[in-house]
Amino acid sequence: MDKSLQVMVMYLLTHIGLIFFMYPTDIIEVVDVGHWSAILLGFALHVALMGIFLKGLGYFAPRNLIDIFLGVGKVFSIILLLPVTLYFLMTIIIDIRAYSEIVTLVFLAKTPLWVTMVLLLSVPAFISALGVETLFRSGVLVAILFFPFLLLIFCLSFQNADWRYIFPLMDKQAASLSYVVSRPYLLSLFAFTGGFMFLGFIPPYITYKRRKVMWASALLLPFFLISVYVPILTFGQSTASRFQFPFITAVDTVNISWLMFDRVTLFLLLSLVCFAMLFISLIMWKTTLLIRRGFPSIRPVTTTMLLSLAIFIVCLYIPDWKTVERLLWWNTYLRLYVMIVIPFITLFLGIRHHRKGAACP
Amino acid sequence: MITKHHIHDVLKMLLMTGFLTVLCGCWDIKDINHRTLPIVMGVEKKNDAYNVFLLIPENNQGGTGAKVVTGTGETINEVVDRFSKDMEVQVDLLHLKVIVFERAIAEQGLSDSISSFMRARDISPKTIVAISEEKLEPLFEKLKSSSKNGGVEIYNFFEKSAGWTPHVAQTRIWQIFRSLNSFTHDVAIPIIEPGRTTTIASTGSAVIKNGKMVGKITPDETLMFNAFNGLGTQGRIEVMDHGSVLIVADKLTHSSSIKGNKAILNCRLQLKVTILETKGSPSVTMIKRELDEMLTGQIQQMFRNIQSKEADILGMGQFFRTKLSRERLEHWRSEYYPYMKLNVQVNTIIQNKGLLKMKN
Repeated sequence: MDKSLQVMVMYLLTHIGLIFFMYPTDIIEVVDVGHWSAILLGFALHVALMGIFLKGLGYFAPRNLIDIFLGVGKVFSIILLLPVTLYFLMTIIIDIRAYSEIVTLVFLAKTPLWVTMVLLLSVPAFISALGVETLFRSGVLVAILFFPFLLLIFCLSFQNADWRYIFPLMDKQAASLSYVVSRPYLLSLFAFTGGFMFLGFIPPYITYKRRKVMWASALLLPFFLISVYVPILTFGQSTASRFQFPFITAVDTVNISWLMFDRVTLFLLLSLVCFAMLFISLIMWKTTLLIRRGFPSIRPVTTTMLLSLAIFIVCLYIPDWKTVERLLWWNTYLRLYVMIVIPFITLFLGIRHHRKGAACP
Repeated sequence: MITKHHIHDVLKMLLMTGFLTVLCGCWDIKDINHRTLPIVMGVEKKNDAYNVFLLIPENNQGGTGAKVVTGTGETINEVVDRFSKDMEVQVDLLHLKVIVFERAIAEQGLSDSISSFMRARDISPKTIVAISEEKLEPLFEKLKSSSKNGGVEIYNFFEKSAGWTPHVAQTRIWQIFRSLNSFTHDVAIPIIEPGRTTTIASTGSAVIKNGKMVGKITPDETLMFNAFNGLGTQGRIEVMDHGSVLIVADKLTHSSSIKGNKAILNCRLQLKVTILETKGSPSVTMIKRELDEMLTGQIQQMFRNIQSKEADILGMGQFFRTKLSRERLEHWRSEYYPYMKLNVQVNTIIQNKGLLKMKN
């Protein structure tokens, strides 16, 4: 059955859950002028790589990435998929630690970190243990519940925008694209790569139409632009660059007297954390899938439980925000590998498979 | 017989109840009756220490009143902590609406206070800031004695949906923080004092440059300042000896250019007004002409005043963002703004003359 809608919703939610915290910080740090070029470049990269990946997968439909790689050879797939597993593990650890810190910073100042981490870990573990179909269905439910709020907040966030801050549009540094190899720019790519790998893992459990998912990526562009430009328009570049989470602070300035709640930021954050939980459950499900392929004797629930326990212990050992940032940076190498190598190899294998198929049908 | 299934069910139930304790996300919870939510905070300098006032709403049998607590300390946070310690409830600045600084502090610089408010997040960035020329004690006494509504009077004074008028500037913490870092934007902070018959009276606005108070503008100039920013509606203007008018709409059009190294800004402020009262029998053209001349003069005078202080409260540098590169915008306040030429033209349209006829 075609479940493109569920996949599209999930694709949007996981990305939206990611981009509103660290992404604007990185982009504002990358360039002083012409942020749109940095956003568009990253986005173009995202769409291109996703297109390549989906094209490659298309040749093998409805098999998933693990089956495809195993079809080539066991050693080959271990070499290729081990870094992917590692990347997923690190992403979960960083996400859980970072989101619990954000929750502490923004509204639960007195709650100990481990409690928020337990919450952020147990709910995704529970969802992912129930299977991928449940995961995608809950994605749709969460979208129906939170999306209207979120859209309202995005509209309201332009309340204090001074559109003149959009200028100057371009300068030499932005035009030369010299920022591409800079550290914050490479960090900012996390928003573009974390999400789309799941498209290679969900078939044959969940099938989708490639073109529809590509269209969904177009819907994502406004969110990337909003996340960076709302703080820029509200505060200006030089002020926005001083904030840890510029978008959250920009939403903090929204003053609505007719709304019964004083701070709309809470709604924004609760929705985003909810999306982030879905994202974590998705990666967790992928990781257990990979682990179970390696060790088929362990039961799925046990895998999930052991995995979450291990992640929780590692998270406890991360003492401060600086370490989170350092981990995020180390993860960049793995990320570059996952976002570039995997799609191209998939496409390569796909074309080879296709030719073979054409030669001896 | 107890089967494996039963044990599983029990375990699941236990797990779900276990979730409940975590899911509510509450930790060290303090109920609302154990918190106190001050409405107004006042900060003044006493020798080298900060003297902090808090206006706290209080329920008594007659209704809602307010009380004032004061304390002295090295930092604002230290004083607030001491209030928490000495009172039976926890002081929570979450719903603080207005912060009043004494003029002496504003002249020394607000940047550290404002930055720490933005950093700590227990004070909302939306909090309104005001400046008092005198010591704060009389102001807080007045606020306390005249509060019948739990002390929200001063908040309503500044709130657009309540008692605010365009003769008063309205500036929030985040706007001051923006001006601390911005190349092209300064702010004006309202100056208040206890009124003789009313609770509060405004005597103009403080001109703030990089967090420091450098000058003052009158309420009439504040109206022009607000009109410039599109907030002038419902402002009342006295026309010389001939009457007064009410602004019903304002619109600013501008064109900016850089000639050589000199910035030139041409502004056209269009005000739609209705006539409120007349003295004698002036004609409409007369009122219009006088209004145009008077307002143009007023804006020019205010502009010269703030220009000499190098404080760009009208945000004119914003109009040059399309013309200057970022490196040059960085020097806007020192290299361009002091030599900028402002050609301003006020154009009033008398939309109607009220319910009485008038000669043209």
